[in-house]
Amino acid sequence: MSAPLFDRLRTIAADVLEVTPAKISADSSPESIETWDSVHHLNLVLALEQEFNLQFEPEEIDQMKDIQHILDILGSKVA
Amino acid sequence: MAIAIHPYTEDRIAAVKAFNQRLGAGGVAPEFHFPESHIPYWLPPLDGRRLYQEFYVALEGDTVRGAFILKHQDFSLSGATEPVVYYHLPVSEGIVNKAYAGVGVLMLRSAVKMQPVLFALGMGGFDRPLPTMLKAMGWSLSEVAFYFRINHPVRFLRQIAPLRRSFGRRALANLATFSGGGYLAIKTAQSLRTSRGDRSIRTEIVRSFGPWADELWRHNASRYPLIADRSSAALNVLYPPGKDFICLRITRAGETVGWTVLLDTQMRDNKYFGNLRVGAMADCFAAPEHAAQVIQAATQILEERNVDLVIANHSNTAWGKAFLSNGYFEGPSNFIFAASKALAEKLAPLDTNRPNIYFMRGDGDGPVNL
Repeated sequence: MSAPLFDRLRTIAADVLEVTPAKISADSSPESIETWDSVHHLNLVLALEQEFNLQFEPEEIDQMKDIQHILDILGSKVA
Repeated sequence: MAIAIHPYTEDRIAAVKAFNQRLGAGGVAPEFHFPESHIPYWLPPLDGRRLYQEFYVALEGDTVRGAFILKHQDFSLSGATEPVVYYHLPVSEGIVNKAYAGVGVLMLRSAVKMQPVLFALGMGGFDRPLPTMLKAMGWSLSEVAFYFRINHPVRFLRQIAPLRRSFGRRALANLATFSGGGYLAIKTAQSLRTSRGDRSIRTEIVRSFGPWADELWRHNASRYPLIADRSSAALNVLYPPGKDFICLRITRAGETVGWTVLLDTQMRDNKYFGNLRVGAMADCFAAPEHAAQVIQAATQILEERNVDLVIANHSNTAWGKAFLSNGYFEGPSNFIFAASKALAEKLAPLDTNRPNIYFMRGDGDGPVNL
């Protein structure tokens, strides 16, 4: 994975999900992070769109099951 | 497996039933389960009719992971007739299984993509998940004011739930009841707030809406920057005879001044109203300068029916003043109006137009909780 991209994602995710960055790993998901509910999921999507100046399609949002998947989608859009 | 949004068709009924069972097992109350008929019982799509609902499901393969409803309806929007769609009853498996936390976002984004000029209504308060998500998505949210007038102060003070929620307030309510202070205070306050009634108006109960309603609509729709179609065709669909609606036509010197749709409901262990008999102004329409007369007529009819309490929600400030001049109090409201970005753009300047938009309890999913 792209380290700089992952680091940016981890920082944003930690801020939105209100956890320390150390708690965010590639397999972090709503099931592993207690604060990650539908409202926080939306806030994460919006924060990423703002940070990277892009918009996710509904199909891409559907695929955001965990941090790794989000990273893959980001990687395909910012490359 | 990817999740995609599809119309709710007959072959998906079993999947919706299974979805509801999982929601129920996860503690979701039945009133928040999705309808198990693919054809809406209320406002089904009919050829040529512009007032109808559509059901959608979020499918993961053949498994339903979420669902929502879109209600299609014409509005008078800055004086022009345009469709504005109502997004409601979004239900997501994410409520009971966090693996599906993204379904709610997916449904909302999909609905906006399908129908950009969208609104939501009700929702139980600003701090609920849906309004929180809508605000995060840049929707404009505002409260639809709540008004009430007490007909039987003693029963009101004994039953009204929000007053009784804490021991302190319960003690106060009981004290006021037994000392008579509550009764006198309420009656005095309402009397002081009620302006002299208009004796020139006449009220009749009607079974349906006719050309008189259309004339009133034609002359006054453009007085409000955003208001759902209240022509007779729409009203006769929304408030058909044979249901529990009390429909009043208010006239002066033979001319229609306004109309209102009332409900008279005996509540049973209701979390807000206890066991009070509640009269509600579910819907109404008139020119702003005739709002007081319509409210006067509605209040008189409901109080003659011996309700304990009369309530209404109304977003328009002129109507709000008319409620207050009829002795109503303004109370805490959990009834929220939310406009999508596209709808808010059509209402620009929103800060100027927002106080004049027209929404009541009968809008949205109708007076279902009254």
